[in-house]
Amino acid sequence: MTGWLRWTAPAAAIAIASPAHAVQYLSIAQAQKLAFPSATGFAEMQAGRAWKAQSGGQTIGLFVFDRVIGKHLYIDYSVAIGSDGRVRRVDILQYRESYGDEVKGASWLAQFVGKGSGSSLQVGSDIRNISGATLSSHHVTEGVKRILAAYGNRAR
Amino acid sequence: MAIAPARALSAKVGSGFPQDMRRARPLLGTFVEICVSGSARSDVDDAVDAAFADVARVHRLMSFHEADSDVGRVNRDGYDAAVAVDPWTFQVLEAAIDLNRRSEGLFDVGVAPALQRLGLLPGVPDDPREPIGGGAHDAIELLPGRRVRLRHRGVRIDLGGIAKGFAVDRAVEVLNDRGVAGGIVNAGGDLAAFGSLPHVVDIRDPRDPRHALCRLRLRNAALASSGGRFDPLASAAVGPAAIVDPRSHARVCAIIGASVVAPSCMLADALTKVVMLAGEHATPLLQHWQAEALFVPASGDVRVTPHWQDSVDLAA
Repeated sequence: MTGWLRWTAPAAAIAIASPAHAVQYLSIAQAQKLAFPSATGFAEMQAGRAWKAQSGGQTIGLFVFDRVIGKHLYIDYSVAIGSDGRVRRVDILQYRESYGDEVKGASWLAQFVGKGSGSSLQVGSDIRNISGATLSSHHVTEGVKRILAAYGNRAR
Repeated sequence: MAIAPARALSAKVGSGFPQDMRRARPLLGTFVEICVSGSARSDVDDAVDAAFADVARVHRLMSFHEADSDVGRVNRDGYDAAVAVDPWTFQVLEAAIDLNRRSEGLFDVGVAPALQRLGLLPGVPDDPREPIGGGAHDAIELLPGRRVRLRHRGVRIDLGGIAKGFAVDRAVEVLNDRGVAGGIVNAGGDLAAFGSLPHVVDIRDPRDPRHALCRLRLRNAALASSGGRFDPLASAAVGPAAIVDPRSHARVCAIIGASVVAPSCMLADALTKVVMLAGEHATPLLQHWQAEALFVPASGDVRVTPHWQDSVDLAA
C-alpha cells in the first residue's frame, strides 16, 4: 500500500449549519398516533404541552411535548407515558442547529416561513447526514426525567 | 470563512428518495436517526420501530452507566465469578478482544478505569493502582456458555468505543430483514447506509463544527467518526476527544478527529479509535478490514488513505 495522502480541503468548505441544519421529523399529531396507535382521541390537559391519550373513555397514557433550547440548537421532543407511569417512547419531533449571528439574518428566518408544525421541510433537499463529533443527547435525557417527575403519576 | 449559500447546497444533495421517512430518538447517549425509503408506509413504521427497539436493547445491555446492564454486571461481579451475558454482548466482546490483539493493544475496552481517572466516565476506579498492562485480550476471559470473567480485580470494561457501531449494524439488519429497500441509520455520526442508492454524508470538521471537512457518497458501507463531543445546546466548540491511549493512559491530543469507512459500523466505530491513536501506523489494521480512513492532526495537514478519495465528492 502506498502511503497516506495529504487531503486538501476545498477552498469553499461546505457549511453545515449555515444558514441552519434543520430537520422536521414528526408533527405533534403524528407523534401522538405513533405513541398510542390504539387511542381514539387526545384530550388536551395543558395547552400545547400535555394530552391524555384516550380509548373508549379510558385514559391509556399521557403525551407530553417539550423543547430543549440552547445557544446553537433547539430540539422539540415528545414523551409518551403509559398508564403504568413509565416512559413508553421518546421521539425527536424537530431539530434545528444554528449559530448565533446567522439566526438574526433574514435568510435564516425566511426558511421557516410557512413551515408550521403541520408542514415539514423537504426531506432530502434541506437535510443532510452528518458524521463527526458525537452530538450529546444529555439535555433531552434530562428533560425526559423532568417530565416523568412532573407527569408520571398523572398518566393513570 | 466561506459560507455557501443554502440553495446551492441543497441542489447537490438528496437526489435519492422522494418518499423518505425519517425518525430520531435519544439513545446510546446521542441521537439515533433512521431514514428509510421504498416500502409501504405502515410496513416502514413497524420496521423502524423494530430497529429502534434493537438499538435500545444494545443500550440496555452495554451501557457502562447502568448497574444492571451486562457491562455493569461484569464490572461488578466478573472478577469473583464468571457472568453470563446476552449473545450480543458476547459477540461484541469477542470482536473487541480480536481488535485488541490485532491492534497490539491500541483498541482496548479495558480502559474504563483510566477514563474514570480522567473524569470521562462516572465513578472512581475500584482499584487505585494503575491496571496491569496486557490489554483486553489478557484481562477478559470469554468462557463457554457465553460467560465472561475478569482476570484482574482492577479491570473494568467500557464498550463505548464499539457498541454504538454494533447497534447501527443491528438496526440495518432489522430493516433489511423486513424488506426495507434502502436507508441510513445514524447514531450520532456513526452510521451505515444500505440499499442500492448512495447516501450523501458530510463529515464535520473537528476544528470548526460549522463546516464539513468533506462529503462522501456511501453505498452499503459504514462510516464512523471520532473526535470530541459536540453540544450545540451549550457551545459552538467541539470538546476534546474522550479517548485515552491504553499504553500511557494519557488523553489523545496529537490527532483531533478521525473517520473510517468500513464494511460494518462496528468495525468503523472501533477503528476510528485506532486511527486516533496510531495515525498513519494504522495502515495494516485498516487493510485487514478493508477500511479507508481520514484523520485531522492537531497541527498539519489532514491525511487520507489512498482509496479514500474514491468515495469522496469534492465539496467545492
